[in-house]
Amino acid sequence: MKVQHFLGGIENLGPVAVEKRVFVEPWEAQLFAVHTTMMGTGIWAWPDLRVLAEGMSPLDYFKYRYYIKWLGGMCHFLVAKNYISEKELEERTKHFLEHPDAPLPNSGDNAVTERVIEYFYTGANPYRDVAVDPLFKVGDKVRVKDMPPAVHTRLPGYLRNKVGVIDTVYKGAYLYADNVPTDGISTTQPVYLVKFKTRDLWSDIPDKGDVLYNDCFEVYLEAA
Amino acid sequence: MSDDHDHDHEHHHHLRESESYYAARTKALESLFREKGMIGVDTVDRVIRFFEHEMGPFNGAKVVAKAWTDPAFKARLLADANKAIAELGLKDGIEGENLRVVENTTAAHNVVCCTLCSCWPWPLLGLPPYWFKDPVFRARIVREPRGVLADFGVSLPEDKRIDIWDSSAQVRYFVIPERPAGTEGWPEEKLAALVSTEAMQGLGLVSA
Repeated sequence: MKVQHFLGGIENLGPVAVEKRVFVEPWEAQLFAVHTTMMGTGIWAWPDLRVLAEGMSPLDYFKYRYYIKWLGGMCHFLVAKNYISEKELEERTKHFLEHPDAPLPNSGDNAVTERVIEYFYTGANPYRDVAVDPLFKVGDKVRVKDMPPAVHTRLPGYLRNKVGVIDTVYKGAYLYADNVPTDGISTTQPVYLVKFKTRDLWSDIPDKGDVLYNDCFEVYLEAA
Repeated sequence: MSDDHDHDHEHHHHLRESESYYAARTKALESLFREKGMIGVDTVDRVIRFFEHEMGPFNGAKVVAKAWTDPAFKARLLADANKAIAELGLKDGIEGENLRVVENTTAAHNVVCCTLCSCWPWPLLGLPPYWFKDPVFRARIVREPRGVLADFGVSLPEDKRIDIWDSSAQVRYFVIPERPAGTEGWPEEKLAALVSTEAMQGLGLVSA
């Protein structure tokens, strides 16, 4: 079991850190831009990053700031896939630690820039306009399956074994990812908006009539 | 001997957990990318400017102001958000290929979260702020939304229902906050200036 798959519902964590900034250090914006370059040029995709985040020690996962985790994940991936070597990364890091104001090489491929911007507008739509025969219809009661643990999942842990009602059957089908190991979402399938009463998720909370919606891949659901 | 070793280890560990280390390592990455022709000289600046000026919460605020002033537009927005935002000249794209807009009313308040990671409607809001990615936010919002709202300084009427949207598959959610009283007849631009990023995910209210 990975804590990262079961965050929803953990108690006694204290107040939320209401930090409204997107980046809290200048290097985070630079790192983010390198990440989007990797996305826009097909070096990696979200699931690659998620697999690394979900594979972290849960203690480290809670300890490190968001982009610190990205930095670790990006370096690990780039070295593992031979885009850069550990040695040159270490040497270059040392160089910039000793000379923080040293300039970057004035070379590169400027064609990459427009490719990345274009990627922001085209995205990577997981929607597939294929004929599907959804197992469930609006109003059906469904139970969320207790899927076996996987390297990567899109099923929030707190919904396992819970019963909800199909609110929307999305048109067509969706492919989550086919580049990483998942718990059954690497094939194109229907996705449903499922509605749960939060009291059905946690029986000890006050009954305020609150509702929780989650989009579930079909493989995660069974008739209830 | 083991003391020395531990000391070295801790020293090394400490060096690797400083902001100057992260900055140097990030610079090393961009530097190597440039040398290998994997990035342009201007890519990083262009990406940062893109999210400052082209894809950011100002897009969402424009949508909210239009929805507040044009009921027919609001109906189209609630029915097909991707199509409706195009009417305003807004493009969808990454992390917003399938948008869904929900509306706060006197009966129900919507909050959006992503308990598994940081799913967020980029075309309308740009990049997610830190609070949205905070594991504490993600853990608590689904079970104790009122407590989390209190951390944001928001308190709702006792009898108001909360609808929680945990984005984990393919749809990205966006909230039309309630329009504040006393803004009748205001032009859209003035209304848009009232709307915060937080309000467009249900973690803030709008006041005039």
